[in-house]
Parts: sequence; C-alpha cells; structure tokens
Amino acid sequence: MNCETCQLKELVVEPPEIREVLRCILHTILFHRALGLVRPKDVECELFDITYVQCEDHELEKKIDEKINQFIGWVEKHPNRKSQVCISFYEVKNKHATWFGNKIERFYWEQWYINLHIISPKPHGKSHNTKAHVVTGENAFEESNSRCAALESSLREVLFQIIKFVNEKKDHIPPLQNSEIVSYPYEISTPSSSDSSFGWHADVLKRMLQTGHPSMLS
Amino acid sequence: MSSPSSSCSSSSSMPRDKWFNLALRDCPAALENFDIWRKSNLEPLVIDIILIRRALNSDLALEPKSWKIVERWIVQYERHKSSSSKNHKDTRKCGTKNNGGSSCSSETAFYKKTYKRYIILFRSLYVFIRLLPTYKLFHELNSSGQICPLSLSHRISSSIQPFTQEDEAKMNQFTFVPIDTPRGRLSLSVQYLRTLEDIRSEPSAPLSLQFILDYIGSPTTDPFRRLKSLPSAQSSPALVSFTRQHSWSNDHGALASVPLCPSVACSEACGIRCNPSLCLPPLTHRNDHSPPVISEPQNAAVTHKNNMSFDEFWPSPFSPTSSPSSPAHLPGQRSPNALQSGSSQIDIAKAHPITASQTKACSSEGKLQIKMDTLRYGNYQTGPTLVKGFPSGKDDTEKLAELPSSSTQGPLSRSFSGSSLLDKFDDSGFACPFADYKDVTESCNRRSPDAVVGAVVQMLMTAAPLRQDLSNLCRPPQVFMDESLNPCVQHDQANTEQSECPASTSEILASVLLKSKTAAEGLEELRRYKEMKESILKQGASRSSDVDSGPKSAGNNDQS
Repeated sequence: MNCETCQLKELVVEPPEIREVLRCILHTILFHRALGLVRPKDVECELFDITYVQCEDHELEKKIDEKINQFIGWVEKHPNRKSQVCISFYEVKNKHATWFGNKIERFYWEQWYINLHIISPKPHGKSHNTKAHVVTGENAFEESNSRCAALESSLREVLFQIIKFVNEKKDHIPPLQNSEIVSYPYEISTPSSSDSSFGWHADVLKRMLQTGHPSMLS
Repeated sequence: MSSPSSSCSSSSSMPRDKWFNLALRDCPAALENFDIWRKSNLEPLVIDIILIRRALNSDLALEPKSWKIVERWIVQYERHKSSSSKNHKDTRKCGTKNNGGSSCSSETAFYKKTYKRYIILFRSLYVFIRLLPTYKLFHELNSSGQICPLSLSHRISSSIQPFTQEDEAKMNQFTFVPIDTPRGRLSLSVQYLRTLEDIRSEPSAPLSLQFILDYIGSPTTDPFRRLKSLPSAQSSPALVSFTRQHSWSNDHGALASVPLCPSVACSEACGIRCNPSLCLPPLTHRNDHSPPVISEPQNAAVTHKNNMSFDEFWPSPFSPTSSPSSPAHLPGQRSPNALQSGSSQIDIAKAHPITASQTKACSSEGKLQIKMDTLRYGNYQTGPTLVKGFPSGKDDTEKLAELPSSSTQGPLSRSFSGSSLLDKFDDSGFACPFADYKDVTESCNRRSPDAVVGAVVQMLMTAAPLRQDLSNLCRPPQVFMDESLNPCVQHDQANTEQSECPASTSEILASVLLKSKTAAEGLEELRRYKEMKESILKQGASRSSDVDSGPKSAGNNDQS
C-alpha cells in the first residue's frame, strides 16, 4: 500500500502561537479522517479569525493537547528552529507468531507534515520612558499585528491545502476496520520522539548504548 | 457501509446523522423544505448565497436595497451516458481482498468506497464553508445581537446565470473532486467572493436590542443610570442624531458609543428630544420674548414642522399622534449646543420632567406658565374637541379661535398638533412621575384655568418625593399613547414666531434634575405655584383685558 504524504506549507510562528496553530491543523486533519459517526464542533481560534472544526470527542482533544504540550516543551529547549510535527495514519497487521509473541506491524498509508518555523518574539521595549521607546513599541506592535495577520492568512491556506489534499487523495484510504470516531489508528510525532526514524525504541536503544544502564528505561 | 456504534456521539444521533456519519443536529428549515432539486436530479442545483443590504424605510423596517451574490454553489449529477455497464464492470473489479470479505461482494465494496468518499467530501465541505468569508459575516450577524442592514439569504435555481467579468474577477473558485458512482458522477463546486471587506465596511445600523427591552419596561430601564449622564450633555452632534427614540432607554450613555442609523436617529430625535423644548423654559424664554403667550404655541408650531420629517420614521405602533413628546420637540429652535447635548437621557429627562412640581421652580414655573398661557389664549381648535375638553372656557376659546390659524398644516403636523397642546398640558400631567393618569385626565377635563391650576396645585401637594420623578421620567409608552388620544386641545401653528430656547436650558435642567430635593424645596415650589395661581386668578378676573396681561403675570412669576 502506498503512503501518501502531504507537506503542509511552512508557518512562521512564535511560541505563544504554536498551540493554536497545531490545534487548528491537527483537528482539521483528524476530522477528515474520523469517518465514524462524529459530532462536529466549531472552534474559533483565539488568536486568529478562523473557525475550524473538530470532532466532539474529549479523548481525542486530550491526546492532541498532550502532543502539543510535548512539542511546546521541546520548542522551549530548542528555540528558533524549523521543526516538524507529523501525524501519520496506519494500519496494524499481525504477522505470524514467533517465539517472542505476536509481531504487530504498522503500515503507514498517510502522513501529514506540519512545518513550523519557530521564531522568538521580538522584544518590545519594556521601558517606555522615552518617546523613542514609545515609537519603537508602536512599531513593534504594528509589526506584530502584521505578522499575525500574515500567519492567519497562511494558516488559512494550510487549511485549504488540507481540504484539497483530502479531496484529491482518496483511493489510498484503507477500508474502515472499526467504528471508532477516528476510524484509523494514528500517531502524532514531535521532534522529541522523532529525531530518530526508529522512534521511541530507537531512542531507548540509543540511551542504553550510550549509558549502559538499564535503569534508564524507567 | 460503516455502521458506527461506539462513538460517543452516536447515542444521541438521529438516523439522518448516520447517512454520512455526521451528526448535524437540526437542519435548517430551508433544507427541510428543500425539494426542488429532487424532481429533476439531472439539472444542476445552483445555490446562490446572497448578501442583502437593507435600508430603513419609513416604518423603521429594513427593506432590501441592494444585493450581491457572495457565493455560488453548483451541485450537479451527471449520469453516465452509455457506460453504465462499464461502470458496473468497474464496480465488480473493485472487490479486493482487503474487504475482508468473505461475504462482501465486489459491488458492495465499490459502494463502500463510494460512500466513504462521500463522507470525506461532506467533511471537507463542512470545514470549507467555515473558511469562506461569508461564514465570518454570517457568524457576526448571528452573534452580534444587533439589527444590521446586512443579511444573508439564498436562492435556489437550476440555471446558472453567469457573473459579469468584473464580479468574476473578484471571485475564487474551488471544485471538489467529483465522485463517481456506478450510475453517474456527482460534482460540487463553489465560486465565492474573495473578500467581503468592501461590503462590510459600509456603515451598518446597529440597533440595540434594548430598543425593545427598554420599551416594555425591562429592568434595564434605570432612570438613574440614564440621568447619570445628564451632566455630560455636551456630546458630539453625531451622537445626538443617533440617539434612539422610542426605546426610552435610560442607558443611553452606552448607546451613545454605538453608531446608530441616521434614520433611526431621526425618529429618535422626534420622540425623545421633542420634550426638551417642551420644558421650554421658562425664565429666559419669557424674558427674551415679549409675547410669551404666543411664543409657546409658536414653539409648538415650529416643533411640528420640524418633526414632520421625523414622523415618517415612526414605527407603526407609534402613530404620529401617539408621540407623546413630539409636539414639544424644537430642534430648530434650539441652539446647536442644545441640539448637541445629545444623549437622549437628557432629552428624556427634559422631556418629561417638567411638571411643575417636580424639579425646579424655574422650569416648573415656566412650563406652568406656558400651559396657562396656552389655556388662556389658546390656539385651541374649535369644535367638539374643544367643547368637550373645555366647555366652560368656550369664550376664551372662541376668542382665541379668531386668532390666525395655520392653514398650511399638513396631515402630519396636524396629527401632531391634535395632541400637541394637550401634550403640553397633559404632558406635564403625564410626565409628572407622581401624578397618576387619572389625575391628569381630570385636570385635562376641568373647565376653567382656575380649576386647572387647582389641579396642578393639588398634584403638587400630593406629589411623592421629588427624587422619584427621576425614576419616572420615562413613562410607559402606553401612557403616551393614551395621552395622544386625548383630543382636548390642538395647536394653532400658524402665525407664530419661533422662540429661542436657550442652549443652556438643557444643562440647567439637567443639573437641576440631578439635585436631590428636600421637602423644604418642595414646599418652596408649592408656594411659588400658589402665587402663580393667584396671579392667574387675578388675570381671570380681568379677563376682558387684553391678552398681553399674560406675559406680565409670567414675568411676575419669574420674579417670584
């Protein structure tokens, strides 16, 4: 089965905007892949004049928020970087049982790459004692507004891009296998766990090799 | 087919929700009643989303003024011409091992796949609509709680009327990927205006919901809150014209910040600000104009004329004659400052406070004087009305009836005048917060000026604490309507000279209203009115004398 990949347009965001942007994009993608009976919920972005749709499902929302928090935590440690958040849909297939038990294999059939360029917010002069500072502050404010408007426009483009993709690419979607809201298993990868292409297990292996202490597993 | 059962939302879903696994709750009525397209599935279904701009008509209702198509959705189902068998073959090919299916035929698999495509299509459609500019407007219109001249509507047809090149240049198009079915292909596309900013940027006419709520006397009608802003009467002229008219809302301070529709403002100007002139004050007024007797009716006449244009904006429940305050409205007479005093609170305060008793001696005196003058010299319209209202004053009436009367009164002004003088008189009664309707009616029906004065004095004596009048400045509209129905007096608007109402009057009155009254002050007022009464009685005794005695008495009163 081929895996369709969608590289979403890069968004230049400041850390405070990450949560809103990721929520908007991730929920929109998942809504299109939630082929079970869903109750759509309109959400108005707090930072942008955009309404997106998410599945009215607390668990789903919680899972997404956890991943976003994870990503934000990584961003705090690695500021001013371009980074990706990937949401992948896959099928799970059992391979033949071996000595070590059933082997589960994932077949990815769709991946969405959310490309973010995280920048640090420009410091707005904290001291406004002088007129120059005030002017600077005003300029910075205008600049910030302008940047925010540009981000809103770009985010809207990304949402259109998602819609376009889901409309054009349908044949690769596997048959429904369950009646969950989100019909297909998925994972959201953030840099903390996807630095290595081998995922979490590779991370653990790497640590073990580096430290040699099994206790690291805990 | 997917048959989800474990989703959290499935429990409360309707059967329709399961069609495409989308629980949309209630469908719009338009959708429920939509049956046009079903009759001929092969014709395109064209849904135009139309933005309508409305203008306020004379009844304060919004009438469509212009419209623009902001979205055009085209749904079309094209039947395969001769390839039904081919598609059927394709259908059979679609069966795969992945269907798990032992029991699923290839045809079923194809239907499943098609159905899944529909599910995705409708999800993307659901999201897509919310990204369009029109949705934003729709959302704003629904959530604003304001009456806006913009509204959205739709039109369903089966023919596509092409856009002009100019319009098309402003539009984007998005075509959803058509979905093939065994028998045909369903396609969906939309053209939408890239931006609505140019349309939205045009001024709207938000009318607060308080328009109604206040009118029915909601708890939000807090006279004190209204009057709080009295001192700040000097608001911008624009705000003046934008004050609401018949809501009688006290919370005009807040309203003042809301740009209101000019046409609404007109009606407001009529309703609310009329009375300020009614309070026509007194001292300066009389001092400045030699024949105060004439000046009052004059004011009324001017008021009528000025209000004529405003009448047209009254909503149907308020016939021009039913306007309680309109007769007294003297926009033309007031100095720019006065007009700009703006907030309708002030207008209201000035409109109804008056009654002698209540507030300041000066204003009360002035008003009473005016009333007395009016009663004496009249401008009463001869006829049954007058006879009925003031039978014993017939002599006076007849005499006064000989005074030149307006022959140019139009229907509107006539309707106003029909109640205007009565308003002037009754207004004091009705506007009197502590005089009930009965009292006022009685006073209206009394047969001589003396009796009227007596009624006023009685009213003053039985008045509730003066502070209370502030809370009653805005009376229920029905009172005004009743008042207007009382045909006791009519104005003669003709041959009257416009009298100037000092700009400072409103301020004085406003400040006066804000002051708390004490019993001593009330008694002082009462004393003045007694003096006034005596003065009038004296005049009555020498009624055969010329009408100029009126101003003198007024002058005396002023001095008192």
